[in-house]
Amino acid sequence: MFADEKLINVPFDVYRYDASRGGEPRYQHYELRLAPHTPILTGLLRIRDELDPTLSLRYSCRSAICGSCAMLVNSKSRLACHTPVGPEVREHGRIVVDPMRNQPILRDLVVDQQPFWSRYEKMEPHLILDPKHPMPEGRTTPMSPAQVERFKETPRCISCAACFSACPAVEADPAFPGPMALAKLYRFVVDPRDTAQTHRLRTIQTEGLWLCLRCHLCTEACPKDVRPSERIRDLKELAVQAQGGTEAGSRHAIGFLKNIEERGTLNELKLVRQTSGVTGLAASLPQGVRIWRKKPEVTKSPPPIEDLDQVKKIYAALKDEKAEES
Amino acid sequence: MLKHDIVVVGAGLAGQRAALAAARAGHDVALVSKLHPLRSHSGAAQGGINAAVGKEDSVETHIYDTVKGSDYLGDQDAIEFFCQQAGPTVIEMEHFGTIFSRSDDGSLARRAFGGAGFPRTIYAADRTGLALLQGIYEHLGTETIRIYEEWFLLSVVVRDGRVQGITAFDRKTLKVEGIEAKAVILATGPFGRVYGRTTNAHSCTGDGVAAAYRAGAALKDMEFVQFHPTALMESSILITEGARGEGGVLKNVNGERFMARYAPHVLDLASRDVVSRAIVTEVKEGRGFPGGFVHLELMHLGKEKVETRLQEICDFSRTYAGVDPVTEPIPVYPAQHYMMGGISTNMKGEASLIGLYAAGEAACVSIHGANRLGGNSLLETLVFGKQAGLAAAEFVGTAPDPEIRDDDLDKETARIQELWNRSEGESPRALRAELQQTMDQLVGIYRSPEELYRGLRQVRALQERYRNVRVIDRSTTYNIDLTDALEVGNLLALAEVIVVGAIARTESRGAHTRLDYPARDDKNWMKHTLARWTPNGPELSYAPVAYTRWEPKERVY
Repeated sequence: MFADEKLINVPFDVYRYDASRGGEPRYQHYELRLAPHTPILTGLLRIRDELDPTLSLRYSCRSAICGSCAMLVNSKSRLACHTPVGPEVREHGRIVVDPMRNQPILRDLVVDQQPFWSRYEKMEPHLILDPKHPMPEGRTTPMSPAQVERFKETPRCISCAACFSACPAVEADPAFPGPMALAKLYRFVVDPRDTAQTHRLRTIQTEGLWLCLRCHLCTEACPKDVRPSERIRDLKELAVQAQGGTEAGSRHAIGFLKNIEERGTLNELKLVRQTSGVTGLAASLPQGVRIWRKKPEVTKSPPPIEDLDQVKKIYAALKDEKAEES
Repeated sequence: MLKHDIVVVGAGLAGQRAALAAARAGHDVALVSKLHPLRSHSGAAQGGINAAVGKEDSVETHIYDTVKGSDYLGDQDAIEFFCQQAGPTVIEMEHFGTIFSRSDDGSLARRAFGGAGFPRTIYAADRTGLALLQGIYEHLGTETIRIYEEWFLLSVVVRDGRVQGITAFDRKTLKVEGIEAKAVILATGPFGRVYGRTTNAHSCTGDGVAAAYRAGAALKDMEFVQFHPTALMESSILITEGARGEGGVLKNVNGERFMARYAPHVLDLASRDVVSRAIVTEVKEGRGFPGGFVHLELMHLGKEKVETRLQEICDFSRTYAGVDPVTEPIPVYPAQHYMMGGISTNMKGEASLIGLYAAGEAACVSIHGANRLGGNSLLETLVFGKQAGLAAAEFVGTAPDPEIRDDDLDKETARIQELWNRSEGESPRALRAELQQTMDQLVGIYRSPEELYRGLRQVRALQERYRNVRVIDRSTTYNIDLTDALEVGNLLALAEVIVVGAIARTESRGAHTRLDYPARDDKNWMKHTLARWTPNGPELSYAPVAYTRWEPKERVY
């Protein structure tokens, strides 16, 4: 229990801005004496109560279930109610609080979440049923614990947008749906009640699935351990399994896999052809020439590595594991 | 002027279910909420939703358990209907997409809950509210419903006893708008924030209940306040009854399972009022831990069970109390959890004004009577949310056109201006803190007349001081200084009704325990309290309880 904790000095630097009144954003400094386990949200509400009633933020449940209070805490996307002050002060000496990224700032720590919600809506986030196979009348759909298991942690998602805020692909490309939307999509793709798996996978392959940078910052940011980046990986696997190499992204993945299996290393030239086809290869020609001038070895077909038999063993083991799973 | 056939205020489970039913009936429906619908407090419900679907269980037993749990104050006709709807409601939510936990045979998993004869609580780990909220929100997306997201309710407009719509403002702009509607459904949830020690979210400030009260609607049974036995120390964050349903036990400082002395047959799974009183008594009589709490032990259940079925509880205990339930006991003490009282409605969700409806925790049908059983509130939101939506849909077919006039808007704008223009005065948060302290200390689990009268004087003194409350923030976007002030006004109005009702009811029934009247008094008090607003405080009257088949008996667990 926290009973014996000593109070510590907690310096806050909080982002202040009001889009309705314009002006320059600034940081405002506050200091509180708090027990180290105190959640940052409690600190911000104490600031409102005791120091400055004009500080604005979203909050409601204070127990990491409503998803209202995501913000940047010392540059990381966090739920304020789920992040204690102590470790932040120990590591950074102070607590810098900013509004989330990738969403326009309305006021102080309040952002306009439209970019987040509109991407979610695009996932057709509801069960799609085949009229020929309606839900069983007067009873529930049977679903084994193993089938429930397939949702993994996606039902824990509280739509807080911490992952969306942390995602560099969202920042770079407006076509990327973002981690939460894709984790949601995964939840419908593995749902035994849903009948639109093919449609969903085909659509998402051309609408952003392969834009994920695999940096896992979303998984690091998620306060509920939904692990969005792993669900994106799962989606890619399902897409390739079901539809093969229909997209540059999936062809790249398949090509990568084959390359390593054959030689234990990458044949970059071959990979480009596998990913983008002969026309793609032709389109990449000027870039290829530039690379060839600087690093000619990259454009050559590399010999297989010495311990290729080890690689083959890994592939065989993976195949066995897959067979066992199914 | 904005205009819809039906306006639903509050977008938790009850509000969304009502909106869905009304839209399905072919009407133009608006859903107004001060939070994004997925951030509603319904999502915080943990343990589960009751439905007697097991082979050994029966609707009849569910009805009996609910009647008994209500300490015979619940309306038996409403309870019968409610329990009959349980199975179909859960099936419907499953069809909407809710992901429930399952048994090995593929059917819905069930767990034991307090005051229930059988394990009939269907669940989704320990986040059943979130699972249902996601399920209904996803399904609602298939209908055309206008959502006014992050709009704050100011008033229900009533003329000649008939609802004309609401006034509200968009929190982004602070512009006061009227939304005309033939029917208004209030599903704004509870007002647990009248207490400091509460499991409720900060947003649970009874905005809809207070607006209905000010508009002249009757409130019912407001003195019945449920205290959940197991809230975390310090933060009062809820530890679900499901923890005891899975086998968790309560122990005092001597390591004794003290519930054996209070509920010899069902021990830790007695009804909530019984367990909360037991914990308070243990601590009062010196058998609590230093700091005033008892232990909830889950260690004997094993890591696997605790971490899968009580995943959120593990996280909450570790984050907010610094204990790991797999290896350590959880320090718990009762906290305000649920309001049995609310806007008085009948089984169709109709309130006492023409065109006004209410559902969910904002309403009082009453099915919970003097004490609600765990697992019955999620069910209530869906069953009576749908009822209210259907009833409103039927009503608007023949209702005359509504009209909100300029002076309806001016009145609300003036109310805000007054707060805004005051150059000196008190902080709404200071008043709120004093109100919460008053209610915690004087209007808690055990109630004495001296404390209740002192509580009433203090609440009224705070109401007086509220006339001088001041908003400092000058921004017209996300001005939570202003919404704090409006919310505190609502809390103060409702706190008074709770205390006045508690003073008048000279008996002990369910969650209302009077030290000076320790027994239930069926002869004089088997009746609902109704409260109506007057300039001099709430005016009380009483209404009979509906009986069908269950004669009042002594309540033993």
